[in-house]
Amino acid sequence: MKRLVLVLLALVLWGYVVGPMFATFQQSISGEGGALREYVRFFDFHKGAQGEAMIGSLLISFASVITSGIVGVFLAVLLNRWDFPLKKFCRVMVLVPIALPPLMGVEAFVLLYGVGGTFPQVLAQLFHAPPNTFALTGMPGVLLVHTLTMYPYFYLTAAALLAQSDDSLEEAAYSLGASKTQTWTRILLPMLTPAVVSGALLTFMSSMASYTAPLLFGVDQVMTTQIVNAKTNGDLRFASVVSVMLAMISIFFLVLIRIWEQRAIYRTQSKGGARRRHRITSPFAKAVVFVVALLSTIFLMLPIAMIFVLAFSVNGSWRTAPLPSRYTTHNFVALFSDPRSWEPIRNSIEMSAIAVIGTVLLGVACAYVLARMRFRGKAAVDIAMMLPWALPGTVVAINLITAFANASVFSFGKVLIGTFAMVPLAYFVRFSPLVFRSTAASLAQIDPALEEAARSLGGSWFYSFRRVVLPLLSRGIAAGALLAFVNGAGEFVATVLIYTPRYRPLSIAINDELYLANYGTAASFGVVQVLLVVAAIFVSDHMQEKDTSPQFEIRNSKLS
Amino acid sequence: MTALTLEGLSKTFQRAGTVVDSITLRIENGEFFTLLGPSGCGKSTILRIIAGFEEPSGGRVLFDHRDVTREAPNRRGVGLVFQNYALFPHLSVARNIAFGLEVRGLSTAEIDRRVSGALDQVQLPTAGGARVDQLSGGQQQRVALARALVIRPELLLLDEPLSNLDAKLREETRAMLRALHAATPVTTVYVTHDQAEAMAMSNRIAVLNAGKVQQVGTPEDIYERPANRFVADFIGRNNIVNGVVRRLGQGTATLQLPDGAELTVEANRRAPGLELREGGHVGVCLRAESLKIVSGMGLFKGVLTDVEYNGAARSCVVQTGFGKLRVEVPGSAARLSNGEAVQLAVSEDAVHLVEG
Repeated sequence: MKRLVLVLLALVLWGYVVGPMFATFQQSISGEGGALREYVRFFDFHKGAQGEAMIGSLLISFASVITSGIVGVFLAVLLNRWDFPLKKFCRVMVLVPIALPPLMGVEAFVLLYGVGGTFPQVLAQLFHAPPNTFALTGMPGVLLVHTLTMYPYFYLTAAALLAQSDDSLEEAAYSLGASKTQTWTRILLPMLTPAVVSGALLTFMSSMASYTAPLLFGVDQVMTTQIVNAKTNGDLRFASVVSVMLAMISIFFLVLIRIWEQRAIYRTQSKGGARRRHRITSPFAKAVVFVVALLSTIFLMLPIAMIFVLAFSVNGSWRTAPLPSRYTTHNFVALFSDPRSWEPIRNSIEMSAIAVIGTVLLGVACAYVLARMRFRGKAAVDIAMMLPWALPGTVVAINLITAFANASVFSFGKVLIGTFAMVPLAYFVRFSPLVFRSTAASLAQIDPALEEAARSLGGSWFYSFRRVVLPLLSRGIAAGALLAFVNGAGEFVATVLIYTPRYRPLSIAINDELYLANYGTAASFGVVQVLLVVAAIFVSDHMQEKDTSPQFEIRNSKLS
Repeated sequence: MTALTLEGLSKTFQRAGTVVDSITLRIENGEFFTLLGPSGCGKSTILRIIAGFEEPSGGRVLFDHRDVTREAPNRRGVGLVFQNYALFPHLSVARNIAFGLEVRGLSTAEIDRRVSGALDQVQLPTAGGARVDQLSGGQQQRVALARALVIRPELLLLDEPLSNLDAKLREETRAMLRALHAATPVTTVYVTHDQAEAMAMSNRIAVLNAGKVQQVGTPEDIYERPANRFVADFIGRNNIVNGVVRRLGQGTATLQLPDGAELTVEANRRAPGLELREGGHVGVCLRAESLKIVSGMGLFKGVLTDVEYNGAARSCVVQTGFGKLRVEVPGSAARLSNGEAVQLAVSEDAVHLVEG
């Protein structure tokens, strides 16, 4: 039974994750002009040549790391160190960008800050400048989107570190004679190093993978858009070359992240004694902190707010004013009554639900096998499982296109391109790691002795798994599955390369509506996505909270 | 009821190396047998091999004449109590105990009857409906015991079951385990690093070190006649003093001790297999309670450097010319204070010789 699971797992990982990656590699080196011909093209750094894309991707990623890092750490310090009115509200609200849907979220930035957007219009009127003087386009626009959507990578870990840090550390520094500046530079900021490193790795990887922001801000010189353009032009070989290069960079970062995660984390040990927050005594300083925090929060909230405002606007009612002129609730009525609106939602729910079944089977099996079985090649399975998490959606799509252009064992002898199956398959591949991670986290909290107890009492392996392990894992699995479902329901990047018009998913419908400037309809779809994400985060948080009873926490800390 | 035989059992791990080194033991039907040793001596690994969670690198495990070495853990019929109890957190106390019976497909009525019997046995008759995390550590421990016993195991395996309990509870649980074993003498293998626990519970003890059996015997054997220096040091509060055999007489041996003292003991007070020859080095075990503080005519002279009074006894440390000796005198003895010059007498029938 155990062996069978292991073999099946290896087959699935090979057939749908690793194999397709190799298919892409194969594609990139076969054809006329020798194996390396297209690679030479890729590395041509002359002005206007293809090499600009990689340089563009790397530059924008480095810049994103720096700006996201500054914003994330700044917010973490601001919202965790001092007390001020509305602090709790601000702390919840700065996490809202996590709920930004993939396509509509970026579009909200364009409509706020891009050509013809709200802010450029207001500013142009204010300064009597020609329109679009202040509009963000190209790289700066992409950088803004990256910064304001990726700072949570820094913020979350930094805030957690600051929350568990103890005032006694600082007091110790002061009592040893350190000045305020020295305490900051030698104690407090170095403490945040783990947050900064993991945040930087994640931000870099996400920036390399980013497709929607460059697309909407009209940036061609990044690798993701380069892939899609090559594919659209029918140059699948060159698309494969760029995919391979992008995949290699992503895998490099995946390995770095795994190494960083496995390293021991030193926590400040503090027992008892209430930690007092730093009360600010000067009313001026207090006002400054309050105003800065509030303004930052509002600024971060704007894109989401924009989606909600647009969702109530009449399609086509927005031409030359900072905001749409007419409002209605019709968009939401249409969402559920007009079959043309409802169909993409239904398609996405169906495709995502099908994919989720697969993600649960694969994710749980993989988490269990890695946690409980000893076998050779464990590290390889771990990397293979996490690979789709690191790969850009664009690359996953290209992999599947090259692998399933012909009938194979893994497609049950059928050509999958152009069928309904492609999209759920892509969601399955992309989001299995989410279920895997969340299951693995739950599994780490379950003492192996429980299973051994069940076995020694006479339960077969499968009986023990079903009666003891599965009930204890159910929350972790459900949380991961929910996350996978929500992600699938909004997925755009891979979808746009592989969907068939007969089964148009939600994100494509939004894209089409945006193309027609039907902002009202598009945004009402976006609101549905936002609500789905918020519900999922809420439910899965709730579920995981119950898991961490003190007993489990102690066991967990023992393991680490 | 079952007798357990371990035949040349070995276990080598890739990283840790050889943890169990050709162990051969026979545990009799109905015996309470303890594997005693410091942490890392391989005792838990042996238990896991018996339970079926580790496959030995060499050797066999026999339940009576049945070779179970390659048998799956769920087919062995072994009751196992874990150090941290391993109660299923999602099941009630009664369902925990019923687990092994449900696996065996017993009727509901039979299960109910046996579960309530088991709860009575461990003195928790009303705890059946409780959640596991509502119980105290001691109660959880008893549920774990009930769960292991209710399947009427061929063998009961206990892995440091008392180590998470406080001193008082430990004593109570010890008494309960003894009573349970007296009532239904199931063959029991008990793993511990606590020698007092081992002595209190066991019919026989195997002392283990570095994956090897050092000595097998009754608690008295092991306490009074340790087979080697390791056992002598690990069990009880022994002082081991290096000596040289001066003369061998008719069934006696005269030992030259450090500091010039001489001591004549019966030659059979030695570890089995230890050969005495004149001029040979031996380790002379002097148990703390066999040394007496006397005012004169003592064998050793020294100065008291530490006294610990615990009511029943005073544990003293005496600094002599060749090192520190531990001495235990009754608590009712005269008060002693640090810095006092004392002499120590040895009751010769408590001396034991091990290898030098």
